[in-house]
Amino acid sequence: MHELHSSDLLEITLRTLSVCLTALLIALAIGVPIGIALGRRQFPGRRALLGVINSGMGAPPIVVGLIVAQMFFRNGLLGRLELWYSVEAMVTAQVLIALPLIVALVIAAVSALDVDWELQVRTLGISARWRTWLLLREIRLGLLAAVIAALGGILSEVGAVMQTGGNLEGETRVLTTAILMYTNMGLFESAYALAAILVGLMLTLAGLLTWVQYGARS
Amino acid sequence: MTAALRVENLQVIRQSRAGRFTLSVRDLALRPGEVLAVLGPNGSGKSTLLRVLAGLESPAAGRVERQATGPVTMVFQRPIAFAGTVDHNVRIALRSIGLAPSEIRRRVDDSLGHFGIAALAERRADRLSGGELRRLVLARAFALEPAVLLLDEPFDDLDHEAQELLSRDLRQAVAQTRVAVAVVTHDLRRAVGVCDRIAVLCNGALQQVDSRRTVLERPCSPTVARLVGMTNLVAATLGAHDTAIVDPEHQLPTAGAGPPGAEVWIGIRPEHLKVDVGRGEGESIGKAVVDSIASDSVLTTLSLRWAGTLLRTHLVAGRGLAREIAVGDAVSLSVRREDVHVLPRGQDAARADR
Repeated sequence: MHELHSSDLLEITLRTLSVCLTALLIALAIGVPIGIALGRRQFPGRRALLGVINSGMGAPPIVVGLIVAQMFFRNGLLGRLELWYSVEAMVTAQVLIALPLIVALVIAAVSALDVDWELQVRTLGISARWRTWLLLREIRLGLLAAVIAALGGILSEVGAVMQTGGNLEGETRVLTTAILMYTNMGLFESAYALAAILVGLMLTLAGLLTWVQYGARS
Repeated sequence: MTAALRVENLQVIRQSRAGRFTLSVRDLALRPGEVLAVLGPNGSGKSTLLRVLAGLESPAAGRVERQATGPVTMVFQRPIAFAGTVDHNVRIALRSIGLAPSEIRRRVDDSLGHFGIAALAERRADRLSGGELRRLVLARAFALEPAVLLLDEPFDDLDHEAQELLSRDLRQAVAQTRVAVAVVTHDLRRAVGVCDRIAVLCNGALQQVDSRRTVLERPCSPTVARLVGMTNLVAATLGAHDTAIVDPEHQLPTAGAGPPGAEVWIGIRPEHLKVDVGRGEGESIGKAVVDSIASDSVLTTLSLRWAGTLLRTHLVAGRGLAREIAVGDAVSLSVRREDVHVLPRGQDAARADR
Protein backbone atom coordinates (compact mmCIF):
# COMPACT_ATOMS: atom_id res chain seq x y z
CA MET A 1 0.00 0.00 0.00
CA HIS A 2 2.81 2.38 0.84
CA GLU A 3 5.04 1.26 -2.01
CA LEU A 4 5.92 4.04 -4.39
CA HIS A 5 4.67 3.48 -7.96
CA SER A 6 6.02 5.24 -10.99
CA SER A 7 2.59 6.77 -11.64
CA ASP A 8 2.69 8.26 -8.10
CA LEU A 9 6.14 9.55 -8.82
CA LEU A 10 4.98 11.45 -11.88
CA GLU A 11 1.88 12.77 -10.14
CA ILE A 12 3.83 13.99 -7.11
CA THR A 13 6.46 15.63 -9.29
CA LEU A 14 3.90 17.39 -11.46
CA ARG A 15 2.00 18.59 -8.39
CA THR A 16 5.22 19.89 -6.84
CA LEU A 17 6.05 21.81 -10.00
CA SER A 18 2.55 23.17 -10.37
CA VAL A 19 2.31 24.33 -6.73
CA CYS A 20 5.76 25.95 -6.79
CA LEU A 21 5.39 27.65 -10.17
CA THR A 22 1.91 28.95 -9.31
CA ALA A 23 3.23 30.36 -6.03
CA LEU A 24 6.24 31.85 -7.85
CA LEU A 25 4.09 33.57 -10.48
CA ILE A 26 1.73 35.01 -7.88
CA ALA A 27 4.65 36.18 -5.73
CA LEU A 28 6.29 37.80 -8.76
CA ALA A 29 3.05 39.50 -9.81
CA ILE A 30 2.68 41.00 -6.33
CA GLY A 31 6.34 41.42 -5.38
CA VAL A 32 7.85 43.02 -8.49
CA PRO A 33 5.54 46.08 -8.56
CA ILE A 34 5.97 46.51 -4.79
CA GLY A 35 9.75 46.20 -5.13
CA ILE A 36 9.86 48.74 -7.97
CA ALA A 37 7.68 51.21 -6.07
CA LEU A 38 9.68 50.89 -2.85
CA GLY A 39 13.00 51.02 -4.70
CA ARG A 40 12.21 54.26 -6.50
CA ARG A 41 10.20 56.30 -4.03
CA GLN A 42 11.33 58.07 -0.92
CA PHE A 43 8.76 58.43 1.85
CA PRO A 44 8.70 58.65 5.63
CA GLY A 45 9.09 55.24 7.23
CA ARG A 46 10.72 53.73 4.13
CA ARG A 47 13.74 52.54 6.07
CA ALA A 48 11.59 50.83 8.69
CA LEU A 49 9.56 49.12 5.97
CA LEU A 50 12.73 47.89 4.26
CA GLY A 51 13.85 46.51 7.61
CA VAL A 52 10.59 44.57 7.95
CA ILE A 53 10.97 43.17 4.43
CA ASN A 54 14.58 42.19 5.01
CA SER A 55 13.71 40.40 8.22
CA GLY A 56 10.85 38.73 6.30
CA MET A 57 13.50 37.07 4.15
CA GLY A 58 14.69 35.24 7.20
CA ALA A 59 11.24 34.43 8.60
CA PRO A 60 11.07 30.74 9.65
CA PRO A 61 8.78 28.97 7.13
CA ILE A 62 7.37 26.85 9.94
CA VAL A 63 5.92 30.03 11.50
CA VAL A 64 4.51 31.16 8.15
CA GLY A 65 2.97 27.69 7.79
CA LEU A 66 1.51 27.91 11.28
CA ILE A 67 -0.17 31.23 10.58
CA VAL A 68 -1.57 30.16 7.20
CA ALA A 69 -2.76 26.82 8.58
CA GLN A 70 -4.55 28.53 11.43
CA MET A 71 -6.09 31.02 9.00
CA PHE A 72 -7.60 28.22 6.92
CA PHE A 73 -8.58 26.07 9.93
CA ARG A 74 -12.31 25.48 10.41
CA ASN A 75 -12.81 28.35 12.87
CA GLY A 76 -9.99 30.46 11.38
CA LEU A 77 -10.23 33.80 9.60
CA LEU A 78 -10.72 32.12 6.20
CA GLY A 79 -12.19 28.89 7.58
CA ARG A 80 -15.42 29.13 5.63
CA LEU A 81 -13.47 28.78 2.37
CA GLU A 82 -12.87 25.16 3.43
CA LEU A 83 -9.31 25.21 2.15
CA TRP A 84 -7.65 23.55 5.11
CA TYR A 85 -5.25 20.91 3.79
CA SER A 86 -5.55 22.06 0.21
CA VAL A 87 -3.26 22.99 -2.67
CA GLU A 88 -4.53 26.56 -2.36
CA ALA A 89 -3.41 26.76 1.27
CA MET A 90 0.02 25.40 0.27
CA VAL A 91 0.33 27.99 -2.50
CA THR A 92 -0.65 30.73 -0.04
CA ALA A 93 2.10 29.71 2.37
CA GLN A 94 4.67 29.54 -0.41
CA VAL A 95 3.68 32.94 -1.77
CA LEU A 96 4.24 34.42 1.70
CA ILE A 97 7.65 32.72 1.94
CA ALA A 98 8.75 33.88 -1.54
CA LEU A 99 7.38 37.43 -1.37
CA PRO A 100 9.98 39.08 0.93
CA LEU A 101 12.80 37.53 -1.10
CA ILE A 102 11.42 38.89 -4.35
CA VAL A 103 10.57 42.33 -2.97
CA ALA A 104 13.99 42.74 -1.31
CA LEU A 105 15.97 41.66 -4.38
CA VAL A 106 13.90 43.87 -6.72
CA ILE A 107 14.39 46.84 -4.36
CA ALA A 108 18.14 46.22 -4.44
CA ALA A 109 18.16 46.04 -8.25
CA VAL A 110 16.09 49.22 -8.66
CA SER A 111 18.14 51.12 -6.07
CA ALA A 112 21.30 50.34 -8.04
CA LEU A 113 20.00 52.37 -11.00
CA ASP A 114 21.07 56.00 -11.39
CA VAL A 115 18.99 58.34 -9.18
CA ASP A 116 18.00 60.26 -12.30
CA TRP A 117 17.13 57.15 -14.30
CA GLU A 118 13.43 57.88 -14.48
CA LEU A 119 13.94 61.59 -15.31
CA GLN A 120 16.42 60.74 -18.04
CA VAL A 121 13.98 58.31 -19.63
CA ARG A 122 11.18 60.84 -19.35
CA THR A 123 13.20 63.57 -21.10
CA LEU A 124 13.50 61.20 -24.08
CA GLY A 125 9.71 61.33 -24.40
CA ILE A 126 9.35 57.60 -23.67
CA SER A 127 5.79 56.65 -22.66
CA ALA A 128 4.93 55.11 -19.28
CA ARG A 129 4.30 51.65 -20.74
CA TRP A 130 7.71 51.62 -22.47
CA ARG A 131 9.39 53.04 -19.38
CA THR A 132 8.16 50.04 -17.38
CA TRP A 133 9.44 47.65 -20.04
CA LEU A 134 12.83 49.43 -20.10
CA LEU A 135 13.02 49.31 -16.32
CA LEU A 136 12.32 45.56 -16.22
CA ARG A 137 15.04 45.09 -18.83
CA GLU A 138 17.49 47.12 -16.76
CA ILE A 139 16.84 45.12 -13.60
CA ARG A 140 16.64 41.73 -15.35
CA LEU A 141 19.67 40.33 -13.52
CA GLY A 142 18.12 41.24 -10.17
CA LEU A 143 14.83 39.72 -11.29
CA LEU A 144 16.52 36.45 -12.21
CA ALA A 145 18.32 36.39 -8.88
CA ALA A 146 14.93 36.88 -7.21
CA VAL A 147 13.40 34.02 -9.21
CA ILE A 148 16.28 31.66 -8.38
CA ALA A 149 16.20 32.54 -4.69
CA ALA A 150 12.41 32.25 -4.42
CA LEU A 151 12.20 29.00 -6.36
CA GLY A 152 15.01 27.46 -4.35
CA GLY A 153 13.23 28.44 -1.14
CA ILE A 154 9.78 27.11 -1.98
CA LEU A 155 10.83 23.99 -3.87
CA SER A 156 12.71 22.63 -0.87
CA GLU A 157 10.14 23.83 1.64
CA VAL A 158 8.70 21.07 3.80
CA GLY A 159 7.39 22.41 7.12
CA ALA A 160 4.94 24.96 5.82
CA VAL A 161 3.55 22.70 3.06
CA MET A 162 3.08 19.91 5.57
CA GLN A 163 1.18 22.25 7.92
CA THR A 164 -1.03 23.68 5.17
CA GLY A 165 -1.35 20.69 2.81
CA GLY A 166 -1.18 17.76 5.19
CA ASN A 167 0.53 15.40 2.68
CA LEU A 168 -2.82 13.91 1.54
CA GLU A 169 -2.28 11.16 -1.00
CA GLY A 170 -3.49 12.15 -4.47
CA GLU A 171 -4.32 15.65 -3.26
CA THR A 172 -1.59 17.61 -1.54
CA ARG A 173 1.39 15.26 -1.51
CA VAL A 174 4.50 16.92 -2.93
CA LEU A 175 8.11 15.75 -3.21
CA THR A 176 9.32 17.12 0.12
CA THR A 177 6.39 15.86 2.20
CA ALA A 178 6.55 12.47 0.46
CA ILE A 179 10.29 12.18 1.23
CA LEU A 180 9.57 13.02 4.85
CA MET A 181 6.86 10.37 5.02
CA TYR A 182 8.91 7.59 3.43
CA THR A 183 11.86 8.43 5.67
CA ASN A 184 9.65 8.16 8.75
CA MET A 185 8.38 4.82 7.48
CA GLY A 186 11.90 3.53 6.90
CA LEU A 187 11.25 3.12 3.16
CA PHE A 188 14.53 4.63 2.19
CA GLU A 189 14.50 3.41 -1.41
CA SER A 190 11.33 5.34 -2.17
CA ALA A 191 12.62 8.34 -0.24
CA TYR A 192 15.83 8.33 -2.25
CA ALA A 193 13.96 8.02 -5.55
CA LEU A 194 11.93 11.11 -4.67
CA ALA A 195 15.02 12.91 -3.37
CA ALA A 196 16.81 12.22 -6.65
CA ILE A 197 13.93 13.81 -8.55
CA LEU A 198 13.87 16.84 -6.22
CA VAL A 199 17.62 17.37 -6.57
CA GLY A 200 17.34 16.84 -10.34
CA LEU A 201 14.57 19.43 -10.54
CA MET A 202 16.59 21.94 -8.51
CA LEU A 203 19.70 21.43 -10.61
CA THR A 204 17.77 21.68 -13.87
CA LEU A 205 15.94 24.85 -12.86
CA ALA A 206 19.03 26.49 -11.37
CA GLY A 207 21.06 25.54 -14.44
CA LEU A 208 18.40 26.85 -16.78
CA LEU A 209 18.09 30.15 -14.94
CA THR A 210 21.85 30.55 -14.68
CA TRP A 211 22.08 30.00 -18.42
CA VAL A 212 19.37 32.63 -18.98
CA GLN A 213 21.17 34.98 -16.57
CA TYR A 214 24.43 34.50 -18.41
CA GLY A 215 22.63 35.29 -21.66
CA ALA A 216 21.04 38.36 -20.12
CA ARG A 217 24.41 39.67 -19.06
CA SER A 218 26.09 39.28 -22.46
CA MET B 1 15.23 86.21 -34.26
CA THR B 2 12.37 84.13 -32.91
CA ALA B 3 13.28 82.13 -29.86
CA ALA B 4 12.67 78.38 -29.61
CA LEU B 5 12.29 78.71 -25.85
CA ARG B 6 11.89 81.87 -23.82
CA VAL B 7 12.06 82.41 -20.08
CA GLU B 8 10.47 85.45 -18.50
CA ASN B 9 10.63 86.66 -14.90
CA LEU B 10 11.51 83.20 -13.72
CA GLN B 11 11.93 82.49 -10.06
CA VAL B 12 12.81 79.10 -8.58
CA ILE B 13 13.05 78.63 -4.84
CA ARG B 14 14.75 75.67 -3.26
CA GLN B 15 14.73 74.95 0.40
CA SER B 16 17.37 72.57 1.65
CA ARG B 17 19.37 71.89 4.80
CA ALA B 18 22.01 74.30 3.52
CA GLY B 19 19.38 77.05 3.44
CA ARG B 20 17.22 78.78 0.91
CA PHE B 21 18.39 79.15 -2.66
CA THR B 22 16.68 81.41 -5.15
CA LEU B 23 17.26 81.40 -8.88
CA SER B 24 16.00 84.45 -10.75
CA VAL B 25 16.13 84.94 -14.49
CA ARG B 26 14.40 88.00 -15.89
CA ASP B 27 14.72 87.21 -19.57
CA LEU B 28 16.55 84.48 -21.45
CA ALA B 29 15.93 83.10 -24.94
CA LEU B 30 17.26 80.02 -26.71
CA ARG B 31 17.41 80.57 -30.45
CA PRO B 32 17.24 77.97 -33.23
CA GLY B 33 20.64 76.91 -34.55
CA GLU B 34 22.46 78.59 -31.70
CA VAL B 35 24.44 77.25 -28.76
CA LEU B 36 24.11 79.19 -25.52
CA ALA B 37 26.66 78.32 -22.83
CA VAL B 38 25.43 78.78 -19.27
CA LEU B 39 28.56 79.44 -17.27
CA GLY B 40 28.90 79.72 -13.52
CA PRO B 41 30.64 78.33 -10.46
CA ASN B 42 29.34 75.23 -8.66
CA GLY B 43 26.10 75.96 -6.86
CA SER B 44 25.25 78.99 -8.98
CA GLY B 45 21.98 77.41 -10.16
CA LYS B 46 23.03 76.20 -13.63
CA SER B 47 21.60 72.71 -13.35
CA THR B 48 18.44 74.02 -11.67
CA LEU B 49 17.91 76.38 -14.59
CA LEU B 50 18.36 73.51 -17.03
CA ARG B 51 15.85 71.34 -15.17
CA VAL B 52 13.29 74.12 -15.22
CA LEU B 53 13.84 74.64 -18.96
CA ALA B 54 13.38 70.88 -19.44
CA GLY B 55 10.10 71.00 -17.52
CA LEU B 56 11.41 68.69 -14.81
CA GLU B 57 10.95 71.36 -12.13
CA SER B 58 8.27 73.98 -11.80
CA PRO B 59 9.18 77.60 -11.16
CA ALA B 60 7.69 79.47 -8.20
CA ALA B 61 6.99 82.40 -10.51
CA GLY B 62 7.42 83.40 -14.14
CA ARG B 63 7.05 81.26 -17.19
CA VAL B 64 8.91 79.08 -19.65
CA GLU B 65 7.39 79.53 -23.08
CA ARG B 66 7.99 77.11 -25.93
CA GLN B 67 7.81 78.97 -29.19
CA ALA B 68 8.95 76.21 -31.54
CA THR B 69 7.29 72.91 -32.31
CA GLY B 70 9.24 69.79 -31.47
CA PRO B 71 10.27 68.22 -28.20
CA VAL B 72 12.51 69.66 -25.51
CA THR B 73 15.04 67.06 -24.45
CA MET B 74 17.92 66.98 -22.01
CA VAL B 75 21.18 65.10 -21.64
CA PHE B 76 22.24 64.68 -18.02
CA GLN B 77 25.67 65.09 -16.49
CA ARG B 78 25.86 61.36 -15.76
CA PRO B 79 24.10 60.00 -18.82
CA ILE B 80 22.64 56.50 -18.81
CA ALA B 81 22.66 53.97 -21.62
CA PHE B 82 20.00 51.28 -21.77
CA ALA B 83 20.90 47.60 -21.83
CA GLY B 84 21.42 46.57 -25.45
CA THR B 85 23.24 47.84 -28.49
CA VAL B 86 24.00 51.41 -29.53
CA ASP B 87 21.41 51.04 -32.28
CA HIS B 88 18.79 49.86 -29.76
CA ASN B 89 19.53 52.84 -27.52
CA VAL B 90 18.81 55.34 -30.27
CA ARG B 91 15.88 53.36 -31.66
CA ILE B 92 13.97 52.78 -28.43
CA ALA B 93 12.63 56.31 -27.92
CA LEU B 94 11.67 56.56 -31.58
CA ARG B 95 9.73 53.30 -31.38
CA SER B 96 7.94 54.43 -28.24
CA ILE B 97 6.58 57.51 -30.00
CA GLY B 98 5.26 55.31 -32.78
CA LEU B 99 7.34 56.38 -35.79
CA ALA B 100 7.30 54.32 -38.98
CA PRO B 101 10.19 51.83 -39.35
CA SER B 102 11.62 53.65 -42.38
CA GLU B 103 11.62 56.96 -40.49
CA ILE B 104 13.25 55.31 -37.49
CA ARG B 105 15.97 53.83 -39.75
CA ARG B 106 16.65 57.24 -41.32
CA ARG B 107 16.88 59.05 -37.98
CA VAL B 108 19.08 56.38 -36.39
CA ASP B 109 21.47 56.44 -39.36
CA ASP B 110 21.55 60.25 -39.46
CA SER B 111 22.17 60.77 -35.77
CA LEU B 112 24.79 58.03 -35.44
CA GLY B 113 26.48 59.58 -38.50
CA HIS B 114 26.41 63.08 -37.00
CA PHE B 115 28.38 61.85 -34.01
CA GLY B 116 30.70 59.49 -35.85
CA ILE B 117 29.52 56.29 -34.16
CA ALA B 118 27.78 54.56 -37.09
CA ALA B 119 30.46 51.85 -36.94
CA LEU B 120 29.54 51.16 -33.29
CA ALA B 121 25.83 50.55 -34.01
CA GLU B 122 25.97 46.88 -33.04
CA ARG B 123 28.31 47.42 -30.05
CA ARG B 124 26.80 46.82 -26.61
CA ALA B 125 26.25 50.17 -24.92
CA ASP B 126 27.87 49.02 -21.66
CA ARG B 127 31.10 48.31 -23.55
CA LEU B 128 31.52 51.91 -24.76
CA SER B 129 34.28 54.22 -23.57
CA GLY B 130 33.34 57.45 -21.76
CA GLY B 131 33.71 59.48 -24.96
CA GLU B 132 31.67 57.01 -27.00
CA LEU B 133 28.91 57.03 -24.39
CA ARG B 134 28.76 60.85 -24.57
CA ARG B 135 28.41 60.56 -28.32
CA LEU B 136 25.71 57.91 -28.00
CA VAL B 137 23.53 60.00 -25.67
CA LEU B 138 23.90 63.04 -27.94
CA ALA B 139 22.96 60.93 -30.98
CA ARG B 140 19.98 59.53 -29.03
CA ALA B 141 18.81 63.06 -28.20
CA PHE B 142 19.32 64.35 -31.76
CA ALA B 143 17.34 61.42 -33.18
CA LEU B 144 14.25 62.85 -31.47
CA GLU B 145 14.71 65.92 -33.71
CA PRO B 146 14.18 68.25 -30.75
CA ALA B 147 13.44 71.96 -31.01
CA VAL B 148 15.44 72.50 -27.83
CA LEU B 149 18.33 70.44 -26.51
CA LEU B 150 19.66 70.98 -22.98
CA LEU B 151 23.10 69.60 -22.13
CA ASP B 152 24.38 69.36 -18.56
CA GLU B 153 28.21 69.26 -18.55
CA PRO B 154 28.40 67.26 -21.80
CA PHE B 155 32.21 67.25 -21.84
CA ASP B 156 32.74 65.98 -18.32
CA ASP B 157 35.51 63.39 -17.95
CA LEU B 158 36.74 63.83 -21.52
CA ASP B 159 40.34 64.60 -22.38
CA HIS B 160 41.10 67.77 -24.27
CA GLU B 161 41.26 66.21 -27.71
CA ALA B 162 38.02 64.27 -27.24
CA GLN B 163 36.35 67.51 -26.09
CA GLU B 164 37.49 69.35 -29.19
CA LEU B 165 36.26 66.63 -31.53
CA LEU B 166 32.92 66.37 -29.75
CA SER B 167 32.51 70.17 -29.81
CA ARG B 168 33.14 70.15 -33.53
CA ASP B 169 30.58 67.39 -34.19
CA LEU B 170 28.05 69.06 -31.91
CA ARG B 171 28.46 72.37 -33.75
CA GLN B 172 27.97 70.68 -37.10
CA ALA B 173 24.90 68.81 -35.92
CA VAL B 174 23.40 72.04 -34.52
CA ALA B 175 24.06 73.88 -37.78
CA GLN B 176 22.37 71.14 -39.81
CA THR B 177 19.36 70.57 -37.57
CA ARG B 178 18.76 74.17 -36.37
CA VAL B 179 18.09 72.93 -32.85
CA ALA B 180 18.38 75.49 -30.04
CA VAL B 181 20.99 74.30 -27.54
CA ALA B 182 21.84 75.32 -23.99
CA VAL B 183 25.07 73.88 -22.58
CA VAL B 184 25.69 74.11 -18.86
CA THR B 185 29.32 74.02 -17.80
CA HIS B 186 31.60 75.31 -15.08
CA ASP B 187 34.55 75.15 -17.45
CA LEU B 188 35.24 78.32 -19.41
CA ARG B 189 37.42 76.73 -22.08
CA ARG B 190 34.81 74.09 -22.85
CA ALA B 191 32.08 76.72 -23.03
CA VAL B 192 34.05 79.01 -25.33
CA GLY B 193 34.88 76.12 -27.64
CA VAL B 194 31.27 75.31 -28.42
CA CYS B 195 29.02 78.34 -27.97
CA ASP B 196 27.73 81.42 -29.81
CA ARG B 197 26.51 83.25 -26.73
CA ILE B 198 27.39 83.02 -23.06
CA ALA B 199 25.06 83.48 -20.10
CA VAL B 200 26.89 83.97 -16.80
CA LEU B 201 25.07 82.80 -13.71
CA CYS B 202 26.27 83.61 -10.20
CA ASN B 203 24.55 83.03 -6.85
CA GLY B 204 21.29 82.26 -8.62
CA ALA B 205 21.22 85.49 -10.63
CA LEU B 206 21.90 85.97 -14.32
CA GLN B 207 24.77 88.47 -14.51
CA GLN B 208 25.29 88.89 -18.23
CA VAL B 209 24.03 87.36 -21.48
CA ASP B 210 25.90 88.37 -24.60
CA SER B 211 27.85 87.16 -27.57
CA ARG B 212 30.87 85.06 -26.69
CA ARG B 213 33.31 87.80 -27.63
CA THR B 214 31.49 90.53 -25.70
CA VAL B 215 31.33 88.48 -22.52
CA LEU B 216 35.01 87.52 -22.77
CA GLU B 217 36.30 91.00 -23.58
CA ARG B 218 33.66 93.26 -22.03
CA PRO B 219 32.41 91.53 -18.88
CA CYS B 220 29.83 93.63 -17.06
CA SER B 221 31.29 93.28 -13.56
CA PRO B 222 34.47 92.16 -11.79
CA THR B 223 32.66 88.96 -10.75
CA VAL B 224 31.88 88.08 -14.35
CA ALA B 225 35.38 89.20 -15.39
CA ARG B 226 36.95 86.65 -13.07
CA LEU B 227 34.57 83.90 -14.16
CA VAL B 228 35.39 84.45 -17.83
CA GLY B 229 39.13 84.48 -17.29
CA MET B 230 39.82 88.22 -17.12
CA THR B 231 41.90 87.60 -14.05
CA ASN B 232 43.98 90.80 -14.09
CA LEU B 233 41.85 93.28 -12.14
CA VAL B 234 43.48 96.46 -10.92
CA ALA B 235 41.86 99.33 -8.99
CA ALA B 236 42.47 102.67 -10.72
CA THR B 237 41.18 106.21 -11.14
CA LEU B 238 40.37 107.55 -14.58
CA GLY B 239 42.69 110.36 -15.63
CA ALA B 240 42.61 112.86 -18.46
CA HIS B 241 43.63 111.92 -22.02
CA ASP B 242 42.29 108.37 -22.01
CA THR B 243 44.37 107.00 -19.18
CA ALA B 244 43.70 105.16 -15.95
CA ILE B 245 45.99 106.02 -13.04
CA VAL B 246 46.93 103.09 -10.81
CA ASP B 247 49.51 105.04 -8.78
CA PRO B 248 51.74 108.07 -9.52
CA GLU B 249 54.22 105.87 -11.42
CA HIS B 250 51.80 103.55 -13.20
CA GLN B 251 49.22 104.35 -15.83
CA LEU B 252 47.19 102.30 -18.28
CA PRO B 253 45.86 103.39 -21.67
CA THR B 254 42.05 103.33 -21.95
CA ALA B 255 39.58 104.16 -24.68
CA GLY B 256 37.39 106.95 -23.25
CA ALA B 257 35.48 105.05 -20.62
CA GLY B 258 34.23 107.73 -18.24
CA PRO B 259 34.79 111.09 -16.60
CA PRO B 260 38.23 111.84 -15.11
CA GLY B 261 38.34 111.10 -11.40
CA ALA B 262 35.99 108.11 -11.60
CA GLU B 263 37.07 105.14 -9.52
CA VAL B 264 37.15 102.02 -11.66
CA TRP B 265 38.45 98.49 -12.02
CA ILE B 266 40.73 97.84 -14.94
CA GLY B 267 40.46 94.36 -16.44
CA ILE B 268 43.04 92.87 -18.79
CA ARG B 269 42.89 89.28 -20.06
CA PRO B 270 46.22 87.50 -19.39
CA GLU B 271 46.65 86.72 -23.08
CA HIS B 272 46.40 90.42 -23.89
CA LEU B 273 49.26 91.41 -21.62
CA LYS B 274 52.57 91.26 -23.52
CA VAL B 275 55.94 90.87 -21.89
CA ASP B 276 59.12 92.17 -23.56
CA VAL B 277 58.54 95.23 -25.71
CA GLY B 278 59.91 96.21 -29.11
CA ARG B 279 57.44 94.49 -31.42
CA GLY B 280 55.28 97.54 -32.06
CA GLU B 281 52.36 95.82 -30.35
CA GLY B 282 50.50 97.95 -27.82
CA GLU B 283 51.66 100.62 -25.45
CA SER B 284 54.33 100.15 -22.84
CA ILE B 285 53.02 100.30 -19.29
CA GLY B 286 56.43 99.99 -17.62
CA LYS B 287 58.58 97.38 -15.92
CA ALA B 288 57.44 94.41 -13.88
CA VAL B 289 59.29 91.75 -11.90
CA VAL B 290 58.61 88.03 -12.40
CA ASP B 291 57.13 86.77 -9.14
CA SER B 292 56.45 83.15 -10.07
CA ILE B 293 56.31 80.85 -13.09
CA ALA B 294 53.96 77.90 -13.65
CA SER B 295 53.97 75.70 -16.74
CA ASP B 296 51.81 72.97 -18.19
CA SER B 297 52.37 71.27 -21.54
CA VAL B 298 50.82 74.14 -23.47
CA LEU B 299 51.18 77.36 -21.53
CA THR B 300 53.65 79.02 -19.22
CA THR B 301 51.87 81.37 -16.83
CA LEU B 302 53.86 84.26 -15.41
CA SER B 303 52.85 86.16 -12.29
CA LEU B 304 54.30 89.64 -12.53
CA ARG B 305 54.62 92.21 -9.77
CA TRP B 306 53.52 95.54 -11.14
CA ALA B 307 52.29 98.64 -9.27
CA GLY B 308 51.99 96.70 -6.03
CA THR B 309 49.72 94.07 -7.54
CA LEU B 310 50.16 90.75 -9.33
CA LEU B 311 49.32 90.52 -13.03
CA ARG B 312 49.20 87.28 -14.97
CA THR B 313 50.14 86.58 -18.56
CA HIS B 314 50.61 83.48 -20.69
CA LEU B 315 53.44 82.44 -22.97
CA VAL B 316 53.61 79.41 -25.23
CA ALA B 317 55.40 76.83 -23.10
CA GLY B 318 58.93 75.79 -24.02
CA ARG B 319 59.51 78.50 -26.64
CA GLY B 320 61.39 81.80 -26.79
CA LEU B 321 61.01 83.88 -23.69
CA ALA B 322 59.29 81.08 -21.78
CA ARG B 323 62.54 79.09 -21.86
CA GLU B 324 64.76 81.93 -20.77
CA ILE B 325 62.74 83.76 -18.16
CA ALA B 326 63.40 83.24 -14.42
CA VAL B 327 61.86 84.41 -11.17
CA GLY B 328 63.20 87.86 -10.23
CA ASP B 329 63.79 88.95 -13.83
CA ALA B 330 62.66 92.44 -14.81
CA VAL B 331 60.51 92.54 -17.94
CA SER B 332 58.74 95.24 -19.91
CA LEU B 333 54.95 95.10 -20.12
CA SER B 334 52.70 96.39 -22.87
CA VAL B 335 49.04 96.21 -23.71
CA ARG B 336 46.88 97.44 -26.59
CA ARG B 337 44.53 100.24 -25.67
CA GLU B 338 41.46 98.32 -26.92
CA ASP B 339 42.36 95.37 -24.69
CA VAL B 340 42.11 97.45 -21.51
CA HIS B 341 38.58 97.05 -20.15
CA VAL B 342 37.19 99.59 -17.71
CA LEU B 343 34.65 98.32 -15.15
CA PRO B 344 32.64 100.46 -12.75
CA ARG B 345 33.82 100.23 -9.13
CA GLY B 346 30.63 100.19 -7.10
CA GLN B 347 28.92 97.54 -5.03
CA ASP B 348 30.79 94.93 -6.99
CA ALA B 349 34.14 96.02 -5.56
CA ALA B 350 33.79 93.98 -2.40
CA ARG B 351 32.94 90.87 -4.38
CA ALA B 352 35.92 91.31 -6.67
CA ASP B 353 38.23 91.62 -3.70
CA ARG B 354 37.17 88.29 -2.29
